[in-house]
Amino acid sequence: MTDVTRNVGIVGGGHTKWGTREASYKDLIQEAGKATFDDTPNVGPEDVEGLFVGSVQPERFAFQTHVAPMVAELLGIDVDSMIARTELACASGQAALRYAWLAIAAGQLDTALVLGVEKMNLPREYAPEAQASMANVMDREFDGVNGFNAPPYFAMIAQRHMHEYDTTREQLAQVAAKNKTHAASNAFAQFQSEVSVDEVIDSFELSPPLCLYDCSGVTDGAAGLILMSEEKAREVSDEAAWITGSGQACFSGNSINNLPSMSAWPQATTAAEQAYDQAGIDDPLEELDVAEVHDCFSISEIVEYEDLGWVEKGEGGKFIEDGRSELDGDIAVNPRGGLLGCGHPLGATGVSQALEVFNQFRGTVESDRQVPAPETGLIHNLSGSASVHSVMTLSRERP
Amino acid sequence: MTDHYDPTDSTDTRNHIRTDGGRDVVELPDQVELPRLLDFYELQTEETTEIAEFYDNLREGQLTTTECQDCGELHFPPRIVCPECQSDDLAYVDLPHEGELFAFSTVRAGAPMGMEDDVPFVIGIVDLGEITLSAHLDDAEYDDLSIGDPVELKIVEIDGPVDHERVFYRFEPKET
Repeated sequence: MTDVTRNVGIVGGGHTKWGTREASYKDLIQEAGKATFDDTPNVGPEDVEGLFVGSVQPERFAFQTHVAPMVAELLGIDVDSMIARTELACASGQAALRYAWLAIAAGQLDTALVLGVEKMNLPREYAPEAQASMANVMDREFDGVNGFNAPPYFAMIAQRHMHEYDTTREQLAQVAAKNKTHAASNAFAQFQSEVSVDEVIDSFELSPPLCLYDCSGVTDGAAGLILMSEEKAREVSDEAAWITGSGQACFSGNSINNLPSMSAWPQATTAAEQAYDQAGIDDPLEELDVAEVHDCFSISEIVEYEDLGWVEKGEGGKFIEDGRSELDGDIAVNPRGGLLGCGHPLGATGVSQALEVFNQFRGTVESDRQVPAPETGLIHNLSGSASVHSVMTLSRERP
Repeated sequence: MTDHYDPTDSTDTRNHIRTDGGRDVVELPDQVELPRLLDFYELQTEETTEIAEFYDNLREGQLTTTECQDCGELHFPPRIVCPECQSDDLAYVDLPHEGELFAFSTVRAGAPMGMEDDVPFVIGIVDLGEITLSAHLDDAEYDDLSIGDPVELKIVEIDGPVDHERVFYRFEPKET
């Protein structure tokens, strides 16, 4: 188990508008960089020692590789410590954040920029080419070849969860309606319309039992964060979101035959237990105030209620039905609007989730979706065939 | 086009600058054929993969996979090294050609390149007993299927941008 040797805080961050943007990959990087430095007036590019960039498929979507040095150039950063791009499919942003945290906690540097970016919307005629890589997060030779991109894969998770635990079509729709309604008042979200349960169920049946509104979007967007050691953070800011725990798990399986389950994610449980243990959290449901969890599809959030250790296995559907994940529930889940409402620019999502928790702590989100005085938060991402889970806990109070 | 631009051949003007009297024009092809690296099907010969025996067996009509001769672990996909014990003493064993449908869905939009003309198509997870695998489900309608339905193997030939004969497996509902 990791001993966190130095406290590390998020002291600022910024966001581009997310959606179908009339902007290039490089434009998004510059917008997010500016928004991040604008949010931290006492920190400039000259202060950044390490750069961690979460981006999943620039080779396919933007025909660009070696993107971290490009970010350094575009943002005017002279890196003198660590520079890397992280690729962990849909968890790439949280992976970048985790490595920045580890580098600072280990004393390798004091100030890092974490930037997540994805440009996913291409002219419609290129969509099949863009989807070609999306289908290959499992084994391309034996799974991707069958057309296993995300919607049918998560549709089967939903089918199995409904089959084994009697989760209902309505409960799935309740997740989507909740998150899309949060996004409706989020200025940077891709989807800004309130959506009812009936509208979710009546939307286009893309990959049954999942409908279009059960699925996150195809999104252009970026987000950035400044991380600092406690010593440096004290010099520049009175407020921070302190990283109190961080865990990941992958159980020697990425292709269909080698995943532990199609209705449970024990890797999420392991990753969460690591983070809870580091953070000293005994009862997550009691002690966490806000959670940004990976609702790439509506079913995902229901499985996560269970496997993050908040309710018994199979009770996730009832958790949403009983309103326990609403803003005024046991734990406010996805007040940002989630991936379902904000969209999912793959490499940027984890970064945006952490920024949301910080913004919730400092009370700067739109009032409709502000959680009352949250003190503790969690971000969670799954990646690929949910073969990997990443969990980070954050605290408003310095540990 | 299958051959390559030859810069020493003055008659080869492909991907070349054309002069029309005004600005020089850089010519790019409107379309390229399916590039090899966007072809989902693996190369299947001994020159290209150390699991060519899997494809040879499939070409002969038998679905197989590797079994570790040291620890007995059955793998899928087939391996060249056992992930359980690191042995490289593996042997190909037959898998059943009939199984049960464990899960399924359908792709109605957003299919990857090379499959966009097949939409809608049904895919699923087939339980063969000791292993499960994902597969196209041919001759199947989503609304007619149920978890647990019997399915059986079919083998298809792949006609694509490489010059050796390739095959792959699919499943279809078992006639009852």
